[in-house]
Amino acid sequence: MSTDVVLLTLLVVLPFAGSIVAAFLPTNARNAEAWLAGGVALAILAIAAYFFRPIARGEIPRVEFEWLPQLGLNFILRLDGFAWSFVGLVSAIGLLVILYARYYMSPDDPVPRFFSFLLGFMGAMLGIVVSGNLIQIVFFWELTSLYSFLLISYWHQNQSARDGARITLTVTAAGGLCLLAGMMFLGQIAGSYDLDVVLRSGASVTAHSLYLPTLLLIAAGVLTKSAQFPFHFWLPRAMAAPTPVSAYLHSAAMVKAGVFLLARLWPAMAGHDYWFWVFVPLGAATLLIGAFLALFQQDLKGLLAYSTISHLGLITLLLGLGSPLAAVAAIFHIMNHATFKASLFMAAGIIDHEAGTRDIRRLGGLFRAMPITAVLAMVAASAMAGVPLLNGFLSKEMFFAETVESHVASALDDALPFIATLAGMFSVAYSLRLIHQVFFGPEATDLPRVPHDPVLWMLLPIAFLVLTCILVGIVPQATVGAFLNIAVRAVLGDATPYYSLAVWHGFTPALWMSLLALAGGTTLYAVMLRYLSGDVEGAPILRRLKGQRIFERAIAIASWRGAKSLVQSLSSTRLQPQLVLLLCVTILAAVWPLYKGGIDIHVPKLHEIDTTFLLVWIVGCVCALGAAQQAKFHRLAAVILMGGAGLSTCVTFAWASAPDLAMTQLLVEIVTTVLLLLGLRWLPKRREETSRPANLFIRARRFRDLAIAFIGGAGLASLSYAVMTRPQTFTIATNFLEKAYTEGGGRNVVNVILVDFRGFDTLGEIAVLGIVAITVYALLRRFRPARDSVAVPEQKQFQDHFDAEHDALSKDTISAHYMIVPGLIMRLLFPVVSMMAVFLFMRGHDLPGGGFVAGLTFAIAFILQYIAGGARWVEARLTVLPVRWIGFGLLAAGGTGVGAAFFGKPFLTSSFQYVDIPVLGRLPMASALLFDLGVFALVLGATVLMLIALAHQSIRVSRASSKAVQPAEGAV
Amino acid sequence: MSALAVYAPLLPELILALGAMALLMLGVFRPEAQEEAGRIMWLAVAVLLASGFAVLQGAGKQQLFDGAFVIDSFGRFMKIVVLVAAAGALVLSFDEMSERKALKFEYPVLVLLAATGMMMMVSANNLISLYLGLELQSLALYVVAAIRRDSTRSSEAGLKYFVLGALSSGMLLYGASLLYGFAGATSFEAIAAAARSPGAGQDLLLVFGLVFLLVGIAFKISAVPFHMWTPDVYEGAPTPVTAFFASAPKVAAMALFIRIVISMFAGVQPQWQQIVVFLAIASMLLGAFAAIRQTNIKRLMAYSSIANMGYALVGLAAGTVEGVQGVLLYMAIYVVMTLGAFAVILAMRRDGTAIEDISELAGLSKTNLPMAFAMAMFMFSLAGIPPLAGFFAKLYVFMAAIKAELYTLAVIGVLASVVGAYYYLRIVKLMFFDEAGQPFEPTLPKERAVQWVAMVLVIAFVLPIISAPLVEAAAAAARTLF
Repeated sequence: MSTDVVLLTLLVVLPFAGSIVAAFLPTNARNAEAWLAGGVALAILAIAAYFFRPIARGEIPRVEFEWLPQLGLNFILRLDGFAWSFVGLVSAIGLLVILYARYYMSPDDPVPRFFSFLLGFMGAMLGIVVSGNLIQIVFFWELTSLYSFLLISYWHQNQSARDGARITLTVTAAGGLCLLAGMMFLGQIAGSYDLDVVLRSGASVTAHSLYLPTLLLIAAGVLTKSAQFPFHFWLPRAMAAPTPVSAYLHSAAMVKAGVFLLARLWPAMAGHDYWFWVFVPLGAATLLIGAFLALFQQDLKGLLAYSTISHLGLITLLLGLGSPLAAVAAIFHIMNHATFKASLFMAAGIIDHEAGTRDIRRLGGLFRAMPITAVLAMVAASAMAGVPLLNGFLSKEMFFAETVESHVASALDDALPFIATLAGMFSVAYSLRLIHQVFFGPEATDLPRVPHDPVLWMLLPIAFLVLTCILVGIVPQATVGAFLNIAVRAVLGDATPYYSLAVWHGFTPALWMSLLALAGGTTLYAVMLRYLSGDVEGAPILRRLKGQRIFERAIAIASWRGAKSLVQSLSSTRLQPQLVLLLCVTILAAVWPLYKGGIDIHVPKLHEIDTTFLLVWIVGCVCALGAAQQAKFHRLAAVILMGGAGLSTCVTFAWASAPDLAMTQLLVEIVTTVLLLLGLRWLPKRREETSRPANLFIRARRFRDLAIAFIGGAGLASLSYAVMTRPQTFTIATNFLEKAYTEGGGRNVVNVILVDFRGFDTLGEIAVLGIVAITVYALLRRFRPARDSVAVPEQKQFQDHFDAEHDALSKDTISAHYMIVPGLIMRLLFPVVSMMAVFLFMRGHDLPGGGFVAGLTFAIAFILQYIAGGARWVEARLTVLPVRWIGFGLLAAGGTGVGAAFFGKPFLTSSFQYVDIPVLGRLPMASALLFDLGVFALVLGATVLMLIALAHQSIRVSRASSKAVQPAEGAV
Repeated sequence: MSALAVYAPLLPELILALGAMALLMLGVFRPEAQEEAGRIMWLAVAVLLASGFAVLQGAGKQQLFDGAFVIDSFGRFMKIVVLVAAAGALVLSFDEMSERKALKFEYPVLVLLAATGMMMMVSANNLISLYLGLELQSLALYVVAAIRRDSTRSSEAGLKYFVLGALSSGMLLYGASLLYGFAGATSFEAIAAAARSPGAGQDLLLVFGLVFLLVGIAFKISAVPFHMWTPDVYEGAPTPVTAFFASAPKVAAMALFIRIVISMFAGVQPQWQQIVVFLAIASMLLGAFAAIRQTNIKRLMAYSSIANMGYALVGLAAGTVEGVQGVLLYMAIYVVMTLGAFAVILAMRRDGTAIEDISELAGLSKTNLPMAFAMAMFMFSLAGIPPLAGFFAKLYVFMAAIKAELYTLAVIGVLASVVGAYYYLRIVKLMFFDEAGQPFEPTLPKERAVQWVAMVLVIAFVLPIISAPLVEAAAAAARTLF
């Protein structure tokens, strides 16, 4: 058993190992390369020979390695009779091709690459054949695509080689991906990816609802690989490959992978009408089209390529019929086709090599120059035509016999014998043409080289193959009978029908069809001879129908036009459409469940709503909408409207009995609005174009944006409403409300949350606030206002102008008398507002107020001073050190937290008690008060720091502009 | 000190956060020196690796901060991928940035901060920690995208990313608040328990919360239709930054995606499955088709990453252990392929300027065969052609989808990868078959190192010795979520 394991593993490993070794041999080591490659092929042949006995006894050698255990996938190698026959085919023809290639490749070609790829391909092909696992088959399948790509593009300086390689890879690799999906489906249906299991579960596979998609996906893989209509066009293009590659890949190996798989899966999948209806029409079409087109090819290899397509169509058709006898015929024809087609390709290569051209019209009368080659090629071509006593005749007769049988009652089935005979005629015609026009007729005079027979070693592979054709043709049972038998048994098992390999079956319909095809083909050729020798390129009717051009057109349309419109319609480099799309999709995503499920928002009845409250909200909403509308055109209005919206929020809080929140909101609104207004001064002027745009399209777009914004906003609002009106059994708010006094020692819940419950958050937040203030300060220090905002404001210019005209004595009255009364009041307010701040701070723990609010209030006092007196005036009289306040605030808050550690409590634990303070009376003195002091100092510092940053802007700008602008003014 | 020992599982994150701050301080005092910035970049790589090492030391499942932060083997897997991706991207940045004298010490620091955020995303088990991690990551990324301040494109990229990112974060936050409204709690477990109650799938609050939350995350992984920023940002940002963008953040966001739908929304699988299937299909198709037309290689990679996120989502849509395992593997392999491809893109340099036109790759095999070969391997792998790693990545996710009976999804995925194969192969054809143009400058050592390491991994994944541990780890990681 262990020898089996080693040998079976070697079967796959050896070529790949050889491939790696071959890649590293010197560039001109043709002999070493050939010996290495030939040795590998010979070794595989020997291994195959070793396994013949056990397999003939019905054993199936099998090895299993762990590969992807999570997916239930093991690396399985199994060698049943069918696989064995392919191993023999692949290695034997491989060996001959290697021998041939040794003499075919010129000394200038970099052979290591060639032999390395060839061995790699052989390994991949053997991998497909002996795989015992569906995914593993796909794996090696794609490898063959890759290697064939590399082999076809071997002469990559050649444009047609590059195009051919690319088309081949695109078609076959894409097909391989489809096959992957198909195999995954098949494995899912069968419940296992193990080939043995799959082959046994034929009944459940055909009955499964996924049968059709599975079949189609697998068909996509098979048909692309075997160059079946409508994917046949890649094969003629692949003829740009070196001839040994064509002889190997395009006769025996790669293109056979498709039909191999078809036969492999035959037991599991063939028992269904769909199988017939997918493969028989396409096979028949390929058979006919291939044979028809082959007749009109002027390139020798092109003729062979189309003939290959046609023969593969024949095999596909046979397998598609779904009857066991047809399957036997298919398997037999796979073998026969490989032998005669490989030898023909090699002969074509020799002709190309010796004569310097492959154009059939230029060739002629070569029989005299190269008699041995001519004889060999003629025998092989006769086999291709189905001449009796050659192997092609046998399988073709089996095919004709099968077409006469009835399978699925339909017109197609009835038409099959006629299609087959017609295709047979064309086949005879093109074979005849090959023989006649190349080897006979007038002797060619203008050949690039003087043709003669090549060295014996180059003829030997052909001779061997041709000899096989003859022997099989004469004594089939004795030569190929045993091999065919094990292959057929492996596929059909107990369903193996009786079949006879005899040459003579009597006067059956098949024989008449054969004879008719031979006669008809000869006549056809005689009639067409003149036409074919003319200047025609391609077939008369189907010339315009070039699969490859259609393919390229389709790809161009899909890839360029389609992709272009897709890119244009679905993506944009502009931000606006991107935002629109993002929003629209989200809205749609939100509407979808609504559409499906409906929503139950608790819609308040009209009488439940207080009219005044409603009015407040209407005002607020109008303000918000106005702010959004004006944001682009009139910033001042936008900021003020925003303040209005904020105020209505504030009123709402107050309305809903949350004075503390209302107060905080109010102060925040005031401070932010003022700071924003101060900053607004230094922004460029608002844009003037407020009038409606003339362009209808732009107006429509704006309207669309408005609608989207409205829908989005309304949606958010209604959702929020739905969430907030949902009855909540337990919320954290209840917890806070209950525990604020008992555990935090305060009745102002907001404040207790800030300084106690969520003290740690607050500490973080004030730190951020401090950082923000310092950042604002740092940014504004370097800020250079827009040019148009530097000048003196319009109103003041007007006033100055007025003053200059009317009262020349006292210049700049506006500065002297600017806001005297309000300024005085503002200055006097400073102590009052400060007291207010202290008051708010002290009462904060129990009543609306607290450090945050107090800090903002105190900041307002400073703002008033700056507004009334200007930065210079204030700073001459007050020492304002906001950065230190910020620092103190952070230290105080953090220190309070750390202080708890001295009492053995965790960070920021607070304690509280009431203390009698003279004058003020009994006050709650929680340790949180210290923390609050920190908050107070920091909020104050941060606000004032931002204020100062803005205020100093005016000093700096007027200093700068007085330097820059003054001369200009003097000039006026 | 026992109080601190509780936080021992947090060591990787602590190393990152403290390392970032220490490096920031280090950089601040020598702001202009290029060598100093280079040293900080290496130190940042060291910090990332140290953090990765610390991640590897962990075992079992722990929860910290009242369950807001969970450390399990799922998290460990994703964290390792994130850290490796970030470290790889940093190593890649080194050559390019020092070549242009554009090394800024802020860059590695920001990457470290972003990585910290990603680690938090991976471990988040609570709406609040989720948002915290997401924003920490995003804010760092916004800045990183615009790191080249003097370049209009870079600034534009940063700004766009910021505006759109802020919007999507807002939606995510909104979804989170709706979920809180639904469950009355922010922890994933509590929400999961509420979502499992009968009839929860009909509760609109839950559905809306789910939708908005997923919208936010879909934006982060750039799934269609929230993908539009990706090509712009990829193209606009400096290439090393793009390499970073394409790798680590995607992994982190995907980890978050998985944890949310699998552990939080297990009870409403039909609901989220629809969304994920839609995102997957749209991403795969658009990514495949739109990439064909691109002429800029960075934009192409952007669409490629969109498509790849689609494939990864195929696994997630299955919602099974195999599916999640597939996604984990997919992300790991994706990171390797992407970093490798970007190592090649970064090496496309001529006369000191970066080349981004795809057509400039023509004939690369004649001027720089190793690089062309490496790129070909990445392209084949991205196309999902065996025996390269990308094939296995696709195999795992498609297999999971088929096992979960999502046949249509699997077929569309395969068809999309056929289209994808077309444009990846176009690049291979360009490099190997077209007329060679001007050669690029010689590849710089670190870029070459990344190319080679990535290429070896992509090729050697077929060997069970390489793949088995990863597959095993992914399987173990996936199981912890169920």
